[in-house]
Amino acid sequence: MTEREMGSDEEQQWVPFKNRPEWSDVIPVEQDDGPNPVVPIAYKEQFTETMNYFRAVFKADERSPRALQLTTEAIGLNSGNYTIWHYRRLILETLEADLQNELDFTDQIAQINSKNYQLWHHRRWVAEILGANATSAELEFTKKILLGDAKNYHAWSHRQWVLKELGGWENELDYCWELLEEDVFNNSAWNQRFFVITRSPLLGGLTAMRESEVSYTLKAIVAHPENESSWRYLRGLYKNDNWSWANDPQIASVCLKVLSANNDCIFALSTLLDLIRHGFQASKELRDAVDAIRNSNLVEAESDLTKTICSLLEKLDPIRVNYWKWRKSILCEGAK
Amino acid sequence: MASEIFERDQHLTFLQMMYQLLPSPYQSQEINRLTLAYFVISGLDLLAAPDRLLDKEAVANWVLSLQAHPRSKSELNNGQFYGFYGSRAGQFPQEVNDNGALSCSVSNLASTYCAVAILKIIGYDLSSIDSESILMSMRNLQQPDGSFMPIHTGAETDLRFIYCAAAICHMLGNWSGMDKEKAKEYILNCQSYDGGFGLTPGSESHGGATYCGVISLRLMGFIEDDILSKDAESSIINVSLLLDWCLQRQAADGGFQGRPNKHSDTCYAFWIASVLKVLGGHKFIDKKALHGFLLACQSEYGGFSKFPGDYPDLYHSYYGFTAFSLLEEPGLKPLCVELGMSAIAAIGI
Ligand SMILES: [Zn+2]
Repeated sequence: MTEREMGSDEEQQWVPFKNRPEWSDVIPVEQDDGPNPVVPIAYKEQFTETMNYFRAVFKADERSPRALQLTTEAIGLNSGNYTIWHYRRLILETLEADLQNELDFTDQIAQINSKNYQLWHHRRWVAEILGANATSAELEFTKKILLGDAKNYHAWSHRQWVLKELGGWENELDYCWELLEEDVFNNSAWNQRFFVITRSPLLGGLTAMRESEVSYTLKAIVAHPENESSWRYLRGLYKNDNWSWANDPQIASVCLKVLSANNDCIFALSTLLDLIRHGFQASKELRDAVDAIRNSNLVEAESDLTKTICSLLEKLDPIRVNYWKWRKSILCEGAK
Repeated sequence: MASEIFERDQHLTFLQMMYQLLPSPYQSQEINRLTLAYFVISGLDLLAAPDRLLDKEAVANWVLSLQAHPRSKSELNNGQFYGFYGSRAGQFPQEVNDNGALSCSVSNLASTYCAVAILKIIGYDLSSIDSESILMSMRNLQQPDGSFMPIHTGAETDLRFIYCAAAICHMLGNWSGMDKEKAKEYILNCQSYDGGFGLTPGSESHGGATYCGVISLRLMGFIEDDILSKDAESSIINVSLLLDWCLQRQAADGGFQGRPNKHSDTCYAFWIASVLKVLGGHKFIDKKALHGFLLACQSEYGGFSKFPGDYPDLYHSYYGFTAFSLLEEPGLKPLCVELGMSAIAAIGI
């Protein structure tokens, strides 16, 4: 569930609109649920009344400071309703309001619930108008959200949009580095790293970045060989270049290094399998190492290296045993 | 203490309660009321609920009352979308629309998918609805890059709404509502370096996004069913990387996670397992382990929670039911993963 409601303090202090003198001229418009409504919702009084007054001002197309204030309250209760957000933007345009205040407003809403598409769309609308001036504020804003939830998908999308549309790439690789220092298992940060090295206009693209990225990633892998994210990233660095993947001696050697220390590392084994599939020729040292692991795991000998690796994976990764069996079976078909 | 079996009767009671009245925490989702209705009605159908539990005529009338209609055919090119409103909250009588300067509430692609799905599930004759205005105006939502906006007044564009558009076209049996080639290009740009799909090009692979991308390609006919038993290497997507990524999402606790290094969550047992089903890789899932995880998320009062031990919610309950259907649990109808409804409803019997 992603919805949250206002805290109980605010609920107690809430004054019904019908008791507010500044709203005495407005006749609320009730929701017409029609006959035989399906899945009716047990709205609370505050929700119902706020939406009734919202409907009234919306119907009258009133674009006033009090209507703006009403949308603030309505969004606080019903932040998924894009009609309220859209109406708020119309009011802001009419009033030629200071959009800096909108940054504070969205900041507050994000503190209640940051997993809300409308909030982020609104934020983007504001940033688009503010243009390049908004860049650092937007990067800071997403950074703040990511401080609380480093994998917040909305925040990452917004951040990528800011970089693409407004710029601010200068420190992005450092930011990824920082996040991965904090938590090397943060897959969102690895993804952002890939986004930066492939798309930053300052870095020269994937091929130019490969060497330094491979050495960074290999260190991360050796430190935490059980981390799927770093292995996937390593593979990604050779995207569309399987020849280099199979022929870069660093890759096979990191597998060997990891396997000599952790002889049950499924990512090292599956990486080896992938390397061989793309033409890698295993050295005697590597074959012997795999054979030793096979022995220590009490796995029976197979006719070739790839089948041995599959058998090992069947044993070491039992949740995917049928997958590894199938991988082994298609090897046989290929050999025919 | 978690139950050892799928508590069908409790789930039926849970859905019946939801059908009668959604508790107040759902008020903040009122804009998605058609989606909430879809979970309840498709859930009842999947659980093979007795007919008396659902007044199909009332449901059809209610759903149809949420359809947006253009005043004339010429309006279909005015940039607006004439689909279904998500809820009643912003729907005004026609005379208000005529007088007001605002083009009042707007219909939404996700709600439209849910509306058409509900009608299909209850066996309503879809050829009798005004599908031309839906399809013609839906084109207004497609962006030059192939993605879709959910509403014409502007919102985030991503893979979710390509899926909605493709499912709508499929159910209405008419693809004039979208440019399939453009949608395909967008989807292909969303396949990430790790094999999964992100919601937008460059974003992190995610179980829900992967479902939307792969299933849309399947509905549009760009990938074959059971591709693993055919020529996977020549597919327009990287199938082997995708398969590996999907299978790796089954975590040690038996459940599926939406992204690497995140906790398992009930709903991904639908999103990811559905992709595997389409690829022909469903047989590689450790069904027993998944079964165990899902039971730990089953509430004793019916329904499923996101994580073991949490309170149930309608969204995770529905995807818990679909996950059990994929596990071929007795008492549940087989699932059409592409449309998110029972296979019988999808065929239209
Ligand atoms: Zn979930």
